[in-house]
Order: sequence, then C-alpha cells, then structure tokens
Amino acid sequence: MSAPDFPPSPGDLIPAGDLSRRSFLRTSAVLTAGLAALASSLRPLLDMDDLPSAQRFMQKYYKELTPDEMARVLKRIEDEVAKEYGVRPHVRDLRPMDGVEFVYALNLTRCIGCRKCVHACVQENNQSRNPEIQYIRVLRMPHGSLDIEKAQDHYDPAMVPEKGYFYMPVQCQQCRNPPCVKVCPVHATWQEADGITVIDYDWCIGCRYCEAACPYWARRFNFAKPSIPRERLNPDMAYLGNRPRRLGVMEKCHFCIQRTRAGRYPACLEVCPAGARKFGNVLDPNSEVAYILRNKRVFIQLKEELGTSPRFFYYFDV
Amino acid sequence: MDDRPAKGRNGSGATTAAVLWALAAAFAVLAAAFGLGPAGQPRPRDPIPLVDPSFLSTATNRRSYADLVRAKEDLSDFDCYACHEKGRPPVLRFDERENLIVPREHADIVMGHGEHGRNNNCFNCHNENNLELLQTRDGRALRFQDSPQLCGSCHGPTYEDWEAGAHGRISGCWDRPLGPITRQQCVNCHDPHAPSFRGRKPAPGPHPLRRPLDPPGRPNAS
Amino acid sequence: MIRAIRNYLVFLRRCLGIAFVGDWRYYAWMGLLTTACLFGLHAYARQLAHGLIVTGMSDEVSWGVYIANFTFLVGVAAAAVMMVIPVYIYDNEELHDLVIFGELLAVAAILMCLAFVTVDLGRPDRFWHLIPGLGQLNFPASMLSWDVIVLNGYLLLNLHICGYLLYCRYQGRKPAKWFYIPFVFVAIGWAVSIHTVTAFLYVGLGGRPFWNSSIVGPRFLASAFTAGPALIILALQIIRRITEYRITDKALLTLRSIVQVSMLINVFLLLNEVFKEFYSGNLHVASSRYLFLGLEGHHALVPWIWTAIVFNLVAMFLLVLPLSRSLRWLNVTCVLCIVGIWIEKGMGLVVPGFIPTPLGQIVEYRPSLNETLVCIGIWAFGLLCYTVFLRMSVPILQGRLARANEG
Repeated sequence: MSAPDFPPSPGDLIPAGDLSRRSFLRTSAVLTAGLAALASSLRPLLDMDDLPSAQRFMQKYYKELTPDEMARVLKRIEDEVAKEYGVRPHVRDLRPMDGVEFVYALNLTRCIGCRKCVHACVQENNQSRNPEIQYIRVLRMPHGSLDIEKAQDHYDPAMVPEKGYFYMPVQCQQCRNPPCVKVCPVHATWQEADGITVIDYDWCIGCRYCEAACPYWARRFNFAKPSIPRERLNPDMAYLGNRPRRLGVMEKCHFCIQRTRAGRYPACLEVCPAGARKFGNVLDPNSEVAYILRNKRVFIQLKEELGTSPRFFYYFDV
Repeated sequence: MDDRPAKGRNGSGATTAAVLWALAAAFAVLAAAFGLGPAGQPRPRDPIPLVDPSFLSTATNRRSYADLVRAKEDLSDFDCYACHEKGRPPVLRFDERENLIVPREHADIVMGHGEHGRNNNCFNCHNENNLELLQTRDGRALRFQDSPQLCGSCHGPTYEDWEAGAHGRISGCWDRPLGPITRQQCVNCHDPHAPSFRGRKPAPGPHPLRRPLDPPGRPNAS
Repeated sequence: MIRAIRNYLVFLRRCLGIAFVGDWRYYAWMGLLTTACLFGLHAYARQLAHGLIVTGMSDEVSWGVYIANFTFLVGVAAAAVMMVIPVYIYDNEELHDLVIFGELLAVAAILMCLAFVTVDLGRPDRFWHLIPGLGQLNFPASMLSWDVIVLNGYLLLNLHICGYLLYCRYQGRKPAKWFYIPFVFVAIGWAVSIHTVTAFLYVGLGGRPFWNSSIVGPRFLASAFTAGPALIILALQIIRRITEYRITDKALLTLRSIVQVSMLINVFLLLNEVFKEFYSGNLHVASSRYLFLGLEGHHALVPWIWTAIVFNLVAMFLLVLPLSRSLRWLNVTCVLCIVGIWIEKGMGLVVPGFIPTPLGQIVEYRPSLNETLVCIGIWAFGLLCYTVFLRMSVPILQGRLARANEG
C-alpha cells in the first residue's frame, strides 16, 4: 500500500454529526427489536438437557488424571447413570495387563451371518437403540470374492447361511498403525499397551475426523442423545468402555474392555453359535489365537495394503 | 458520526426512516416468531423395535446326553434296555438302495451323516454290545461324554483344532488362570446323526439413520 | 503511552460508530443480512440442543455442507491474498490500495471458516481441548491441528496488516515498512499453506481412495485461485459503484488474467483426474462413478457435478476469449466460476468421498433445512463482517475518516 497523500484535503473531512430525537427513537427501536430477536432466536437452547456441570466441563484428559481424580470421576459417572437410569452401575478404570496383546481371529468358514454378535455387543456395551448404533456390521459376500463393493449388509432371508455367500462381520480392527489415532486433533483416541484403541468420551470434541479416516467404517458418532432402555442397561462398566456415552461424541468397539481386561471373552465371542470368533493374548503361545496364527495358512487382514496392520485376522479352515 | 451518504445521494432521509422502521418491525416479528412459534423439536424418528432376547442367548444349539446326565434330568427316554434285550444286538435293516431304514420307535432320528448315504450304519458309532456306550473305530467301548474322540477319529484336522480351541465354542476366560472355561463338545453344536450345522433365521439387520433419498430402483434388502 | 492507547480506542469507537450509519440501501442490506444471521442462529441453537441429528449427516456420510463450505472458503481466504503478489513482487501500482480489500475479504472468509468448523463440532463446549498448553493439540500428527494453527495465524496476520495500514492512514502517518512488509511476504506463503493444509486433511486418509490422491492439493489451489479473485472482481465493482473509491478497469483485468490461468489449470487437472479414475478400470473408482454417473440407482450428485463442469468449461472459454474483457461478460464469467467451483469443491469433493462407505454401502446425503439455514446464517455473517470492514476502511482510505477530523 502506498503512502497516502497527506494531509487529506479539509473539504473532504467528515464532520462529527449530532443526533436528533427522532433518529434516536428510530435507532433505539431497531436496536431493541434486534436484541429481542437475538434473544428469542436462542430459545431452542432451553431444550438442551446435556449442559455439562463445571466439573465435567473442566475434566482433565484421561492420561493426566491422578488416581484420586479418577476415583472422583468414576463416582460422578456412577451418580449420573444412577440418576438417569435408576440403576446404580459399577464403573471401573481397568488398566492393560502386562505381557498381553489382544488379537481377534474370525473363521470365515464357520460364520453363518446370524448377527447375534451384533446384538450381543449392543446389549453388553450399552449402545443407543434409537438412533441405532451397532459396532459390528456383518457383510454378506458372494463366494469367491473379497471385493467390498459387492458386500451387502441388509440381507434378510428366512434362513442363513444362504447358498453362494459367505459372511464377514467387521468391527474395529484395533490396527497396529491406526489412522484414527493419527488424525484425532485432541488425542481423544489412542492405542493402549494391550493393543486396544480406546476413546476418552469426555475428551472427544466430536469433529468426526476419525470417522472419515477409518478404512473399516468402524467408528460411530452420537448424532442424538443415545437412548438405552432402562431395563437393558448393563451396569458392569468401564471408563474407557461401555459406560453410557453422551450426545456429540464418538464410540466404537473396544474389545469389550470391561470384560477382556478382567480376563473374560468379549460378548460377541460368547454369543456366536458357530464358534467362529476367537480371541486371546497372541503373546501367549498356548492361546487359541496363537495356535491359529501359527497353523492356518490363509489370513485376510482387510485392506492390508493400506498399512494399517489390523489385529483382526479372518481365516479359513485348512 | 457520519450521516452523510457517501455518494451525496440526498433526499433519502425519508427513505432511511422508512427502512429503519421496517427493520424494527421485521425484528419484532422475528422475535415473536422465534419466541412463540413451534418448539422446533426434531422430527420424531421411526421406532426401532428392541431385539428379541432369544438372539442374545448364549445357549448352545443342542444339549447333549452328557449334559442331561450332568444336569441330573429325567433320562427315562434314554433307557435303551427298556425295549432292547441285553446281549442281543439290534438288527439293522436297509432298503434296496442301501439306505438305512430308521425304525419307527426312533423316528425322531433323521440320518444325514455323510453324503451319498455314507456312515449310515448305527454301529459305526453306537456299541451294539452295550447300547449305553459308544464304540471307537477299533472296537473299544467309549462313554457318551468322551464322544469327541470318536468324531475326531474321522475328522482329524477339526479335532486337532478343537483341542487347541480354534474350533467350536469356548466361553469364560481367555486368561485361563483367572477363571474357569466351558469348552463345548462336538455334539453341543452338531447333531451326530445329521451333523451339518443348521441354519437359522438371522437377527434383524441394521437401521440406517437416514432414509434413502428417492424410492430405490433396487431395494437395499436382498 | 496512555495517549497512544486513548487514540487507538477513539479510532476503534469511530470505526464501530460508522458501521451503524449509512444510507437506506446500507440499512436495508445490513438488515437483510442480520435477519439471515438470526435465522442461522436459531437453527444453530436447535442443533446445540438436539445434536447433529437435525442435519442430514449420518455415520455413512459424516461430513456435509458445513465442511464443504469450509473447504471452499479456505480457498477464498487463500486467494484473497493473491492480489498481494502482483503488488509487492511485480510492483503493480493499480492494485496497491485494493490489496486491503482483498485482505479484508480474507479476514471475513477466515471468520466464516472458523464458524463453519465450530458448527460442525459435536461438542463445541470442548473447543478448549484444541488450545496448545491448555488442551492436548495433536501436533504435528493430525492435519486438523495444523489447520487450527495456520487458520488462526492467518487471521492474525491479516488483521495485523490491514489494521496497521488502516490505522496509519487514519493517523495520516506513513506506515513503517518493517512493520508490515515482512508480514505481507509471510502472508503470501501462509496463504498457500492454509489451503495446502486443508487439502492434506483429505489427502492423508488412506481409507478413502477418492481423496487419497496427489492431485487433490494442486486442484485445491487452482480452484481457489479461480474462485477467489473472481469474488474480488465482483466485490471491487460493487465497492466502485457504492462508494466513490477509484478502481480502474486495469486492476480488474489484472485479476481476470489470474482467474484465466487458474481456470485453465483447474480444467486440465479435472481432465487428469477423470482419466486416472476411469481409464484403468480398477475397483477404486466407485466414488467417482457415483459422482459422475451414479451408482446402483443412486445418482443424487450427478446433476450437480455436470452443472459445475458445464459452468467451469463455459467460464474457461469465456475467459480465453477477448469477450470477457468487457465487464458485463466478465461478471457473468465470474459468477459461473464461483458457482461452478463452489459445487465442485463442496458437494463434488466432500460428499463423494463418503459414498460408498469403506464397507461398500451406499447411503446418500441431503442437507436438512436446519443445516441450510445455519450455512446461510454463516454466509450472511461473513458478508456482514466484510460490509462492516469496507464501511470502515473506505472512508479511512479516502481520508474522510481521519484523526484530523476527530470531533
């Protein structure tokens, strides 16, 4: 910008004006009406029922919470759930076990596509029923192809399995090189020592970048306040696991962290009628997953060319 | 304050006044509309029925004879020697195409073990000398609760996988020291007379959040 | 020191005061924009209360018009500074004072960008988690963290440059070169970086083959440098008509040549993209097929993208012909450029990336009324800001609002 010609010519100067009473009245009318419109345009905020308390608003990041603070947070969560659902839960902060790396193996010869795993997961992990959130999506694939464009998830025949198809349930693959962890702008999701990629539901800002980044469509967002029927609430909860989430945050499969870190199998495995699902500590050579990885010849790690290195292995029997 | 319009367009005092009063009126109307108008609740969503609890059951396909024994249930239906004679092996009858004719007393058994009528001899597994036991392929007697060995004598690779935990259902703790596990046997999922794993009705499919934009030419469901 | 602060506060007060004063056209325009803003605010309040379910987004298509508009406007903000290059590097006298109008447009565009990202958040009350030191900003791994830093930095940069130059003009003082020239040069580089970072948001996602392509970055810049200067050409003509600020046709034609070259590059890059997607016949083309041809009976975006392509091609031909040297045709061309690129970058980039989902399912997207009102509200807010900026800066540049005439 060039230097101005200065000083500016006096004839051009703007004199300071004065206000007449009528224009003052006019101006105030506009301003008052405008402010009234502004205030009443915010009326829908009265319907908000999820305003965070000061405590919740200022809650620290999971990894920065001291044990005392964590105990207070857990108690607060228990109080909130008890108030909302009338059931007092037991919320724990379970830590990863030493010498454990979880791996999931799924036998595609055995899966019949019955979707019981989907619903067992919903029940165990307190997922919203409406809008519907389901961590597991079962894909029906035609024989002979792994082309994901041919997958169909809305099949509803009288009987499964249907001839000419095989079934592939997909959930969070707990990748060794997770794209969702890389892109989260606030570190709300990270991978723990036992391989589970977790989400701190009280830290997530709901930008949904992780949902865009996931190559397996494994992450879910709470577009509305989740609705869990009171009588189906699972009160055995974990902070990073199945405690009820809020409006506006992400969630996903966490290998039933409240069960697996207590040494138990995840709910999807327990309910599978065909025994297609196998889970355990791959670092333990006696576990069934270690046996499978040693002995089965063909594995599919979905989209392995993307370099995500999933901990989910699809295999076939011999 | 500069009241003078920049381009010297005068005579607009009256127009300005009119515009300002119109604005005030418009804002007032807006204030009323926002404040007193409809509540602005989102459109109610289509109801999604809760899943039938039977889909959440972890029960196995079948209860085996061994389970019934363990549960000390009424086994009168399984008392072989109520009808059969001890020491007299039952006689098997086959039709002209060498299919086994299942006696009407055992009409609830449907044979289907192996294709082309293979393995349709009852005494391939049952012990004709003691109907309350099974027999291995080399003729040794075997208790019902040890039946997996018998299955494994033909289905070797599957049996190996089953022993390692890679086939069949295990429930309980992956971390064995922490708690008990329940390992299901072959007959908990497979009917030994017609072992092919039965199909079933699938649980309901997903309900997407958004409806399709236009009536689909090709519906989503199969 | 106190006097300096007092002087500055008086300057700010007068600027603010002048924003509320004008002729009846000004009041009508501002009233219209305010009304649109209020509708947008009401719609956003609904969204805060009930969640993002009031939009048309879903788990399948989890970004929609909010991010589409954000992407377009980051390009406008970057390109608004394009005028700086001919002025400072090529020493183009005609554009000297107009650079301020470009930078003010950049400020307004960045404010709109920040608004669009904020309304897209599921939990905006947790925005403080993004503040380094206070929260946990995932820098340098997350491209969103880069975006937060570069966008806010760009805003501050432009506010400083415009603010300083305008204040010096107000005071009748010659601005000190060291206090703005280095920032101007930084702004040139920074402008390219804000749009590259935004492009990298998409490019870095390996799971979305539609975006994971090296052409996205160059296309972003080419389309930004087409739509941005086109917007400025239109804005300058409006300024020329409403105020008496001297803007020569030569300035407009210089901008036209920027739009011309950028549009040619943009169309060339489009051809590259189409060839790459469709020639080899591999299976990753599902998203492109959905966008250009429709997929399995779903074709909501097909009319949009072809409209955009036609607009861009017509604009390109007009730009190449001397016909567009006439202002009437130039304006038509600019409108075609802006609309074509808005569609192409918005609905033509963001939505097809999500269709089909990574698991091969197709769920289409249509913005809801509420979502549209929020978008209109934010655009109105941006136009409101820009109008206010012009309302303040034109009199200062013309010398009619100066320290010399403080009452």
